[in-house]
Amino acid sequence: MSGTTESTAVRITGYGVISAAGAGGKVLYEAVRSGTLPPGDGGAQALDGQPAPPGVRLLSVPDFAPREYLGRKGLSALSRTTTLSMVAAELALAGLPEPGGPEERADTGVVLGTSTGSARAFAEFFRESYEAERPYLVSPALFPGLLLNHGASQVAMRHSFTGPNASLAGGQISALSALRYARNALLTGRAARLLTGAVEELGAHTAWAWHRGGALGERPALGEGSAVFVVETAGGGTGPAAGRSLAELTACEVAFSPLDEGPDAVAAALARCVEDALRVGGAEPGDIGVVSAGASSGPGWSAVEARGRRRALAGHTPEVLRVQEVLGETYSASGALQLAALIAHWEDGASRSDGRADWGLVTSVGHDGSVGAALLRRPSAAG
Amino acid sequence: MSELAPRRVAVTGLGAVSSIGIGIEAFTAAVREGRDGVTDIQSFDSTGFRHTRAGEVHDFRPRDHLERLPAEKWGRSSQFAAAAARLAVRDAGWDADGLSASRAGSAMGTTNGEARVFQELTEQWMAQGIDGIDGDLAARASADRIAAAVNTELGLRGEAQTFGTACSASNYAIGYGFDLIRGGAADVMIAGGADAVNRATHAGFHRLGAIAPDLCRPFDEDRGGIMTAEGGAALVLESWDSAVSRGARIYAEVLGYGLTCDAKHPTQPDRDGIAECIRRAHRDAGVEPDEIDYVCAHGTGTAANDSTEVAAVREVFGDRIPPISSIKSMLGHTMGAASGFGALACCMALYEGFLPPTATVRSVDPALGPDLDCVPGRARPARPRIVENHGFAFGGNNAIVMLGRPA
Repeated sequence: MSGTTESTAVRITGYGVISAAGAGGKVLYEAVRSGTLPPGDGGAQALDGQPAPPGVRLLSVPDFAPREYLGRKGLSALSRTTTLSMVAAELALAGLPEPGGPEERADTGVVLGTSTGSARAFAEFFRESYEAERPYLVSPALFPGLLLNHGASQVAMRHSFTGPNASLAGGQISALSALRYARNALLTGRAARLLTGAVEELGAHTAWAWHRGGALGERPALGEGSAVFVVETAGGGTGPAAGRSLAELTACEVAFSPLDEGPDAVAAALARCVEDALRVGGAEPGDIGVVSAGASSGPGWSAVEARGRRRALAGHTPEVLRVQEVLGETYSASGALQLAALIAHWEDGASRSDGRADWGLVTSVGHDGSVGAALLRRPSAAG
Repeated sequence: MSELAPRRVAVTGLGAVSSIGIGIEAFTAAVREGRDGVTDIQSFDSTGFRHTRAGEVHDFRPRDHLERLPAEKWGRSSQFAAAAARLAVRDAGWDADGLSASRAGSAMGTTNGEARVFQELTEQWMAQGIDGIDGDLAARASADRIAAAVNTELGLRGEAQTFGTACSASNYAIGYGFDLIRGGAADVMIAGGADAVNRATHAGFHRLGAIAPDLCRPFDEDRGGIMTAEGGAALVLESWDSAVSRGARIYAEVLGYGLTCDAKHPTQPDRDGIAECIRRAHRDAGVEPDEIDYVCAHGTGTAANDSTEVAAVREVFGDRIPPISSIKSMLGHTMGAASGFGALACCMALYEGFLPPTATVRSVDPALGPDLDCVPGRARPARPRIVENHGFAFGGNNAIVMLGRPA
């Protein structure tokens, strides 16, 4: 079996990513390959004066300055979650050969994964209500920023994208939830082009939540970032990126296993996702050249993911990109950063064989029993 | 999957956890009578607020409804979602093992996720410092747990998708479930939404001057704004063949849906964006404006929403506007659950034959134009065939679901 059916293929024509490695796919892949990050500030900017939890490495975006990408106007009411996703979207659009015209905006939409929106913005808004002179004397400009759809709606407003605009909360698998939704929206004709990805913000509130929850494992590290992909249907030959493809998103499957059925059932559910993705994409385990592995850092969860993958790949052992070991726990953003690293790996010109091993896999396991797998294929021709 | 003909999608079960009733029978009875569920706020200390009423669910005891989910480990929004889903599945006559073994998942919408968890965490932060927050509580803060709660309660192995598209999120969820079943990727989807009354949401709308003093009065010339509210709504969506082979009661057929994004303003609704959403929903369902018998309005009860929504409806429907009412007159604004409750009311309207009322309207705002039938007071007997369920949101996220009488 080889090749994809045209009707189920979705092309990734551009992407933008920002993480502790900096801005762009090249620095991300260099970090993943070398296992080292550029020197950061230990999370000082993201903590914004709040104390850091002891023993947790904080791997924030170095010198994050949204105005460098977005201009100064209107940024003061935007959370870090929102500006991270806006910057990733900006980078994704900037990477296209030419921008889409105004006539395409009605069929262009935004689909982002985020589990809480900005936890900091939410908590601080609550706090303002308790501390203000009257409990309702909160900042009206900050109110929309509590919502999970704030990032996606800001990206749409910035570019007048009036097509489908969705925000999905999927915990660890948020990015795969968003990719699956976007793929479905394209294949059902609800949009012609979507900016899709996911975001996670590092801050004191989330850092302490992770620390107190005890789910960070033995070498705790927390990261942040966002990756956004421009996805289009395979047949869309008239767009600005016609013919150009960084990768095909040939399948994206997500599933669930109730936790009371135990971790082995979760591993089995992931195996089922991978098998389904291979079936939908028309690939076999041996076609997988590289796996961009999940960012599940909790005790035992990495092992669950590896077990599920092993089961589905039936003895085949592709190269593994360990994104989370470098970037830290990036929760909602993890799947998007994994996919960005995979594409950057391919862009780097990693060795290709005779048509085999041209496929890549992104896998993710949440702490609540959710699992997901995306199957990607390298474009057959360069450029 | 694209080689197969699209499958029809049936609604076979309905579940409501609301301030006007728990279970679809109690909910429907209240809607038909035009009974409201607005009371003095109990879920947070409302001292200092000028407006202190909300649509809270006071008699919700999760253990009365849940069979599997350990409620004490989940936030209130997740509890609402799981309970509404359990009620819907019982209503649909699915046995637990049969549903669990089928290709079934959930899609649930929310505006504020687990806001009550955030409320409690903030109180801990203020009292004990940021290092004093409870880790077990913090682990309940993620909004994705709302759909995860549904899958956990029902033992579903398909996907658990939580939509964070604010106050139209249930319609997004229903639309997504519809697409999955229609295309053959799933056979059953539990779709709906949940939200919980909380201090931040109340304060935010209060600050915008958008909260009514006594009751929510959509379309009324003396409207005062919204009433913050809570609850969980769930629908069992199922392939037509599955429903028929089970001998299930079919309340309604999902005919299609439409989505647009205004992309103009973070909080203000936009006539053009809504009108285009209506057109997209009609096109997707293959229906014309003159076939629509009823519009279940977003109808929040703010001047901005009412005037924009009615103007958009006039733009699409022209001279003949179908009856249009707002069940927020009874429930208040249940946020992410709102369009889920709208869908429940639409399904019952189609199945039993009535038009849900705008219970609290006294004198229709003349600024909304002539011949606006907002079904004042109590439900009206009717035989609607095709109805339209509106959901709009901050961020310009418009979503409209079309439902039809089963035939």
